[in-house]
Amino acid sequence: MAVKLAVNLGGLVMKNPVTVASGTFGYGQEYDQYFDITQLGAVTTKSLSLHPRSGNNPPRLVETAAGLLNAIGLQNAGLETYLAEKAPFLREKNVPIIANIYGHSPDEYAELARRLEQAGAADAIEANLSCPNVHDARTGPGPVLVAQVPERVREYTEAIRSATKLPLIVKLTPNVTDIREPALAAEEAGADAVSLINTLLGMAIDPETRRPCLANIVGGLSGPAIRPVALKMVWDVARTVKIPVLGMGGICETSDAIQFLAAGATAIAVGSMTFRQPDAAVSIIKGIEEYLIRHGLEDVTSLIGSVQYDGQ
Amino acid sequence: MRQEAAPGHYRMGLHAPEIARAAKPGQFCMIQVSDGLHPFLRRPMSFERIFPDGISILFKVEGEGTRILANRAPGQNLSIQGPLGIGFPLDSSVERHILVAGGIGVAPFPALAEAIIRACGKVPEVVLAARSQHLLVGEDVFREMGCTVRMATDDGSVGEHATAVDVLERLAPSAQTRVYACGPMPMLRAAAEVSKRLGAACYVSLEAQMACGDGVCLGCAVESNREKEGERMVRVCADGPVFDAAIINWTAHNFAYDRSRGSLARTR
Repeated sequence: MAVKLAVNLGGLVMKNPVTVASGTFGYGQEYDQYFDITQLGAVTTKSLSLHPRSGNNPPRLVETAAGLLNAIGLQNAGLETYLAEKAPFLREKNVPIIANIYGHSPDEYAELARRLEQAGAADAIEANLSCPNVHDARTGPGPVLVAQVPERVREYTEAIRSATKLPLIVKLTPNVTDIREPALAAEEAGADAVSLINTLLGMAIDPETRRPCLANIVGGLSGPAIRPVALKMVWDVARTVKIPVLGMGGICETSDAIQFLAAGATAIAVGSMTFRQPDAAVSIIKGIEEYLIRHGLEDVTSLIGSVQYDGQ
Repeated sequence: MRQEAAPGHYRMGLHAPEIARAAKPGQFCMIQVSDGLHPFLRRPMSFERIFPDGISILFKVEGEGTRILANRAPGQNLSIQGPLGIGFPLDSSVERHILVAGGIGVAPFPALAEAIIRACGKVPEVVLAARSQHLLVGEDVFREMGCTVRMATDDGSVGEHATAVDVLERLAPSAQTRVYACGPMPMLRAAAEVSKRLGAACYVSLEAQMACGDGVCLGCAVESNREKEGERMVRVCADGPVFDAAIINWTAHNFAYDRSRGSLARTR
């Protein structure tokens, strides 16, 4: 029995519902030596900014229980380098590109989206309104993340929306009281999809030196540790907005991906697990196909939001 | 094969013909220490020796991951990815090769010494330093290769009561010398300074916490002297782990984060 794996993520047609999380896959080239990346439903790039960024001071990474904390700080070579050196490789691979963008203002996001569309270097835009690692924790709580304030989500989303016709995915932060509010703001402002969750803010201190393990003091937690939190938020948002949800957060294997689809995600992203097992996303695509066959289902879309409640 | 090379220090032989064929001294592999998801990240391990059908690794138990690895029984399968990174450059025109190891920083040097003997036709001199005699690893390995071995300990229990770099300085490296150093960051910085002052080339093998080992996560970055924004940070995994000491910005490194107290594990 041939099963259908294709999904439509707010206008982005994916041949299967699996992509990779921004920042865990570079620009695709690094992992193409291990497996054929065109097997993915889409490749999501590392965050791109208008100008090159060196990122945070090291140490930037520490392993924690069932995951890791990072404070990379959006190090990237900038849009020009992406267009000249990275995008041609991905274009040649003929795999949909979700270009993740980061800017300092609505105008910068809009410019990034516009130029990526003009250059044909993206099939969808994922606006990172939620990176927790781009301020100095020592100066206080730091600037509030855009995705923590629904009004700002609306403002930024409108600016990007007016600059591009590409499918627009707004990436949300879990570091809020109620993630449905920024999700609704993104939808109302014209986003085609929302992606969640970005990392959870966390901290680790070396007990011997009593210093923070990260130079940035705080960082973003990822890995299987955050999966139940992410799943609950995906479930919350998917029941609230009408636009599709790209779900992520600690997905390691097929059974995790099924949970996110059942909770309402139209597509899912594999993140930190790729660090442990470079071809994890591809194993999950195969695993979803096998799951559908085993359950006598013909189409992966029948899984989306299919969570079963007792007594209902 | 598994043996305790010193208290808390283990040497393991791993059958891995494909990795061994491609491996170069100074490169490393990522090892998944357990079958389940805990610990989540793999451990980077440099090659101690490279054999026709496998490799050996030498590591110190520093945390849970290395403790689990040390307890893996001979005959079990481990998931290993490698070789990764850029190893030590070999140059047969160099007259004198000095290897400087601090603590478990000795890990990549037996493979390097063998390669220098084979490819350059020279026998390297080795400086081994540790906190104390019982933590000095590898003396026998280097002596079997015919290397002169000078030892130094922080407590004077064997060899000189001195640091590795004190010994290096007295060996008077010159413009015809190449220094290779691996160990705690303060030691590497001192080795870089001495080498520069005396006109010798110096290559350092750095360690850092890594998530991917493939140059993707940017978690293992260290600051270089490159001024261009976006190129200032270099990745220990993909641009190293071996670097020309001259490109590292030694003043930028915050030694407060260095946990080493006389010796340093290459991995936690």
